Amino acid sequence: MIWEVFRQENAGEYHTHCGNVHAPDAEMAKLFAQIQHGRRKPTHSLWVVPQPEVHEVDDEDTAFGGTTDKSYRWAVTYDVDASFAQEVADSEREQEEAARSRGDD
Amino acid sequence: MAAEGLAGPADLGDDEQEAVELLLHRLADDEFVLAERYTEWQVRSPTLESDLAVANVAQDELGHARLWFDLLEDFGYEEQDLIWERPPEQWRHSTLAELPWPDGGWADAVVRGYLYDVAEDLRLGALEDSSYGRIRDRVGKVQGEEDYHLEHAQNWLERLTEDEDGRGCVQDAVDRQFAHALTLFEPGDPDLEERIDDLGLRTTPLSEMGEEWLRRVVPFFESLDVDTPMSGREDVTADQLPAVVGRDGDHTDDWFDLYEEFTHTYDQVDVGDPVRIMEDPDDE
Amino acid sequence: MDVEEVKERAGPREFSPADDMPEEYRKAATRMIQFHANSEIMGAYLERPFVRQSPSLERKLAFSAKVQDEIGHGQLLYRAAESLGVKTRDEMLEELANGEGKFLNCFHYPMDSWHETPMIAFFVDGAAMRRQATLKKTSWEPYAHAMDKVCFEEGFHVKHGEHILAELAQGSKKDQEKLQEAFDEWWPRILQFFGPTDDKSTHHDFAADVGLKQMSNDELRNAFLNAYVPKARKYGLEIPEYPRIEENDDGTWKVREDDLDWDEFFTVAKNDYEGSHEQIGKRHDTQEAVEWVRDVLDDHEQRPMGGAGPAAAD
Repeated sequence: MIWEVFRQENAGEYHTHCGNVHAPDAEMAKLFAQIQHGRRKPTHSLWVVPQPEVHEVDDEDTAFGGTTDKSYRWAVTYDVDASFAQEVADSEREQEEAARSRGDD
Repeated sequence: MAAEGLAGPADLGDDEQEAVELLLHRLADDEFVLAERYTEWQVRSPTLESDLAVANVAQDELGHARLWFDLLEDFGYEEQDLIWERPPEQWRHSTLAELPWPDGGWADAVVRGYLYDVAEDLRLGALEDSSYGRIRDRVGKVQGEEDYHLEHAQNWLERLTEDEDGRGCVQDAVDRQFAHALTLFEPGDPDLEERIDDLGLRTTPLSEMGEEWLRRVVPFFESLDVDTPMSGREDVTADQLPAVVGRDGDHTDDWFDLYEEFTHTYDQVDVGDPVRIMEDPDDE
Repeated sequence: MDVEEVKERAGPREFSPADDMPEEYRKAATRMIQFHANSEIMGAYLERPFVRQSPSLERKLAFSAKVQDEIGHGQLLYRAAESLGVKTRDEMLEELANGEGKFLNCFHYPMDSWHETPMIAFFVDGAAMRRQATLKKTSWEPYAHAMDKVCFEEGFHVKHGEHILAELAQGSKKDQEKLQEAFDEWWPRILQFFGPTDDKSTHHDFAADVGLKQMSNDELRNAFLNAYVPKARKYGLEIPEYPRIEENDDGTWKVREDDLDWDEFFTVAKNDYEGSHEQIGKRHDTQEAVEWVRDVLDDHEQRPMGGAGPAAAD
């Protein structure tokens, strides 16, 4: 049986997928994963998840975020100043980065 | 295939423009009014996740209405003429879109979604090769969001009908809505509808679309053990239609109430033209 | 882990469901996050009718997206609260519907007109965002993760709120007057958003000691006033004479607490205000009306093939 492995480098960070292991059950998967995926890279925690339990939807199945203009969801669309409050400006900057990586620009 | 001559508004004579306008109103009005109803479910649906999904469907439909209304603006209309100041008896949507939900009527929401989305699928298919370039160019974007709607509605229906009470609710919703759904394929003005077909603005006539719709919808409900008024029948007859069909401007009382509600603020504030936030669809 | 160790280790994102947290921490964190989650839902309740009442097509889209986001924030927050192992989401939603669940003071008041919408969409959301930004450093990791996403989205909400405010402020004289009336009505509630001044707040000490909370009520209110009072003035809004607020030379504010109606605030906090009954009653009725659907889903989940669903055959 295949187990997908997610590693968290430091406390407070996100678990991100880093690979998988073959193992007969969860206990063995944890034993194998800590060696295969945690022996060198900084590791605070690992999750192991049975692969058959992982279901996928990808961008061939669907259009994430839609196909028509949804710019009303983005701070940058509104022509009012964001700089008056640090947290508003930060949010707008993060959204602009996300839009760039989506390829909206 | 698309006739070369009908790329945009400048290529249309008065008769042709009249036909394009009716076609666009059928599209835009349906989407706008249905979205209005969907938004009622935001934060009132069965789970938080379904709240999010139904809100998204509402925004998709509203976004489609925006694209079709925008094409009507080509003819010199403004948003206030098309929505906020257009008398309610001039709206051309199907009565299916305007019906209110009964309390707790989540089955009504997904049944309506399904009935509408199958029709929408057929109707958009009949516009892919529209002779009017401005419509043809926008069909793909709209279709890109409709698959999710149909899948969403079907998945809900399959699960609700697993349960005896749930199936009862779905059956009640079908009984309430089916006649109104038939108005999706009713002509607004028979002569104009014929002109729409003759000009190739739409490549499948309404009657054919209606038959195809029945061939998809009726067996699907039968597979869920839900009856439709068309089970075992072939033709739609006039007595199966509701008293008002919407397409010709005649609507149920519920529509006039809804219209009052959504124009309430517009009538109250005095801030100039309806505000635009996004780029013009042609500049996206 | 005992409480002393928690206090010693307390830092940003320090504790996760993998840690064995003492009951006192888990209960305090649940109370705080559940309150936050409830507030998102009740805020969405208050604003939803204005999706319909939005006076332009694009405004309607934006309003729907905003309400959608609030529900999404509620979803994230209930998960973060659930991860403490004290209550399930169903239990928390049930508490909200039956009047036991507590939520922000501002969402207990009815909102009747479009001119009131920027009071929530700009000022209250702005206040909430200011607070939420500090909670990215909370000690409960799932809460901090929820805040990452909430803060990412929330910039849209505040700018959208200001956009409505700007439009109305540039409207007719009548619109400007109605806007000022709305501001006069909402301003004291907005000042009370941050709760009573620090020495009157009951839960602050423990929440701060274990790192759940990063800034005190007073610090947050100061930061809010510094950014938002100039905005109100920019749009021609007059700050009401009462409650009296005075800006100190060091950029802090003195709010005359006695000018605020704390009896009303604490009545609201107990869900006992007139508006509380109305808002909670609506939530209760609409939730009850679709109880049957949740029952169907639960049964579906219990079936042998249920939870995995037809998709599992793929």
